[in-house]
Amino acid sequence: MIGFSALKSGALAAAVGLAALSAPAIAQNVIRVGVLVPISGPASYFGVQGKEGVALALEQINRGNGINGIKLDVQFEDSACSPLQATNTVKRVLEQFKPHIVVGEECSDASLAIAPILEQAKVPMLNAGSAANQLTESGYKYVFRIFPNAAQQGVPLGRNAYTKLGARTAVLLHVKTNAGVDNADGFAKEFEAAGGKILARIDFAQDVNDFTPIATRIAALGKVDVLPTFALEGQQVRLSQALAQARVVKGGGGTGIQMGSIWLPWGFEAKAGQASQGYIRIVQFDPTEKRKMVTDFIDAFRAKYGADKTPTHINAHAYDTMLLIAEAVRRGARDSESIRDRFSKMRDVEVTTGKITFDAKGQNSDMSVIHFVETQADLSWKGLNW
Amino acid sequence: MSDFLALILQQSINGIYLGCLYVLVALGLTLIYGVMNQINFAHADFVTVGAFAAFFSATRLFTKWMGMSDGTGYVLSIFMALAAGALLGLLVNAAVFAPLRNRSDELRPLIATIGVSVLLENAQLILFGPIPFQFDSPFAQNTIRFGKIFFSEQSVLVVIVAALAIGGLYSFMKFTFLGKALRAVSQDRETAGLMGINENFLIALTIVIASALAGMAGALLGPVIVLTPFAGASVIVKAFAIVIIGGFGNMEGTIIAGILVGIIEAFTVQYLGSGVIDLVVFVLLLFMLVVKPTGLIAERREENV
Repeated sequence: MIGFSALKSGALAAAVGLAALSAPAIAQNVIRVGVLVPISGPASYFGVQGKEGVALALEQINRGNGINGIKLDVQFEDSACSPLQATNTVKRVLEQFKPHIVVGEECSDASLAIAPILEQAKVPMLNAGSAANQLTESGYKYVFRIFPNAAQQGVPLGRNAYTKLGARTAVLLHVKTNAGVDNADGFAKEFEAAGGKILARIDFAQDVNDFTPIATRIAALGKVDVLPTFALEGQQVRLSQALAQARVVKGGGGTGIQMGSIWLPWGFEAKAGQASQGYIRIVQFDPTEKRKMVTDFIDAFRAKYGADKTPTHINAHAYDTMLLIAEAVRRGARDSESIRDRFSKMRDVEVTTGKITFDAKGQNSDMSVIHFVETQADLSWKGLNW
Repeated sequence: MSDFLALILQQSINGIYLGCLYVLVALGLTLIYGVMNQINFAHADFVTVGAFAAFFSATRLFTKWMGMSDGTGYVLSIFMALAAGALLGLLVNAAVFAPLRNRSDELRPLIATIGVSVLLENAQLILFGPIPFQFDSPFAQNTIRFGKIFFSEQSVLVVIVAALAIGGLYSFMKFTFLGKALRAVSQDRETAGLMGINENFLIALTIVIASALAGMAGALLGPVIVLTPFAGASVIVKAFAIVIIGGFGNMEGTIIAGILVGIIEAFTVQYLGSGVIDLVVFVLLLFMLVVKPTGLIAERREENV
């Protein structure tokens, strides 16, 4: 007869065995997503908005049965827009959380730092906010980006400045970062190839506050047709106001047209005021768009975060990253390798910022995401259909 | 006026305005060093607190709730920022600096200022969030023009407030009993104590005055900088450079160095490019450290402040 103790031992062993067997089954029902965003430091406003977008998407995706029984498990980590902190954070996340995919970072310098680490770990990286060309031009197999790179932003700006606006002279203004330099290079290359002339290229550090001396210098250059500007919103507001004060741009009674990239979020005009009148810029997310996906997103966003809030492109990009991961899972992805595989085959996947088609380098090649708008006297946008 | 002359004059005006902003930030730093022989790494955060105090009092308290005009609201907000800075200085002195001062250790108060800085930054991050606030002074958009020369009413206000602050501080130090007592403490703390001067009170007063100046600087910088909990950090490195170039603890030197750095910056933008501003300023700093380590105005230590 089998004794009670032996019975207990047998039952325990069976229970442990069953638990061991069921563990992978549970793991397979979850896709772990590491989200690296700047939560501390001066760039933390990216992180706050990124978290909002991810949290909203997660709530919708994980509702009920998830994606055919699979749910997304997200872990937010602070990478502070800093290459050093992002590097340390991604190593720790890989070791402890063991993500199937990593979303981030916002700043190009930090994204460039973590890309080789994720490539080596064979964990896909989905980037939604960095513009530096190098990120998808380094031959990485596991790096994907939905944000138009610097060339995709700078080149059409340069081309349209020459052909659509008839501009022949330009002054380039950009912050001294990888993304700022790349964007300015993209514009200059296209504009000069078309026959335009760059009168001055003025770069500045991220801690420059007063732009009056820069505006004075530009005013002394004589007639400038366009002023492509690549900087974050805070500096752009002050720069536009200084240029208007110096009567360089239309917003101040001058003739120059300031041009900008996706860097500027929704709400820039309200902050810059009349100085932004005549500003022409690329937008990737247009909250006034009537596409159902956009209106649904805005409704859900307002229901969650407040009726008076309008999502920015940062919110939208973060939301879109989760939609894309969910789409990969819907198409059968269950681990890092299959997520990478499904991403590389994605064509015309609709998200709030447009459509996504990844090219062989992992860069979204669908330029329909880019459209030009011009700020009117009442600070509203007019679509330019370029 | 020729275009060239107009350009020189315009950049000089830009530089003086910028210099006045720097002086306002640097004065508090130099005051604390002059009296306490201590560097305050939290000074940038006092500036930020002042900027937020001015922002909320100008855009909410005075205009929205009390119905004042934007102009009146902004001018009054400068006083609110000054008061907020003073109050914060009082609190930080009581909670951190005063208890550490009695331990005759120079390193601990220095490290404590770093701790206060991190604490204030994160407290403001929790309170106000990281998304930049748009702080517009009603005077910033009104431009005064004389032919080719232009400047905003805000820059006139900055220069006037800076002049009043400098004049007021200078008069206080030179002509009042408390000012003389402060100078006595800066010369020799122990002897001043033996003469019946309340050293602790005067040090607290120094911190309060320096913090009030920082708060006021925040109110004037608010419409210039990108207002986030980290805003003060964008000017503090240059303020430190100015204090060193002027002579640590020397008020006159700080004022001259501040204006000089502002003018150098404006002309660097014009002729070398804005990308090399920091390079030029810090080459000047290194030059001063090597050639004249005492700063622009080399006074005897006991005459500082």
